[in-house]
Amino acid sequence: MPAEPLHILIAAMVSWANFVTIDVFFKLPEKGGVSGASEIGRHIEEGGGALHGGYMMGNIVSSPDASAGTLLASCGVYAAGIPGGLFAALLVYIGNRICYDPGYAGTTGCITATFIVYGFTLIGFSAAEFIVGMVIAILTIQGISHVHSSRLLATLWRWRQG
Amino acid sequence: MNGYEIALALCGIIALYAAVRVVLEKDTMRKLPFLNVVSFAISGSIVLLIPHPLAIVAAAAYFVGSTLESNAIASTYAGGPKDE
Repeated sequence: MPAEPLHILIAAMVSWANFVTIDVFFKLPEKGGVSGASEIGRHIEEGGGALHGGYMMGNIVSSPDASAGTLLASCGVYAAGIPGGLFAALLVYIGNRICYDPGYAGTTGCITATFIVYGFTLIGFSAAEFIVGMVIAILTIQGISHVHSSRLLATLWRWRQG
Repeated sequence: MNGYEIALALCGIIALYAAVRVVLEKDTMRKLPFLNVVSFAISGSIVLLIPHPLAIVAAAAYFVGSTLESNAIASTYAGGPKDE
């Protein structure tokens, strides 16, 4: 396999792990942060998915969370290195407040992703690979099968609750 | 194709795929996660296409704006805020 597709695959897995870990840690699957997020969760449940996974997907739609943080951090590092990533964290923080989100999942995810992406650029990866990696990672959660992804997220949420 | 071109092409393909899923999905609420994927792919493409540090501002403005729109659509559909 040529280097670039392999790098993109690894970047997608690292981005996925970063945003899912932080979102579950910040209790995004617990409940909808705004009424719209709860409604999306209920509709996903009606479609055969799991309610708590649906809440997390609704929260991802309704406010910049750690997945948006990871994407914008990759964009920031691509455009301007570590300062770009930290500037992206500021933009995510402002975005959270605009979207009536009291949480810090987006800002935290953006800061951790900045250092993760920068670390990978030191070992031969490109930040562009992390941009598309995060797009692939969000595709697996939001864009293929809501039933299966919500069940997976609900399972992770049960582990989080211990 | 180098890594940059593959990244841009994948973003474009994923945006188109998710746009088709938005059109095909019948349930309004379940359209929004697909729309979210479109926003991710377009934001990524903006930064990949514009080689300038301020491209990050354009991408963030686009992304936060589209998120806010989805938030507004979903919350309106749900009957407005209930916890205030």
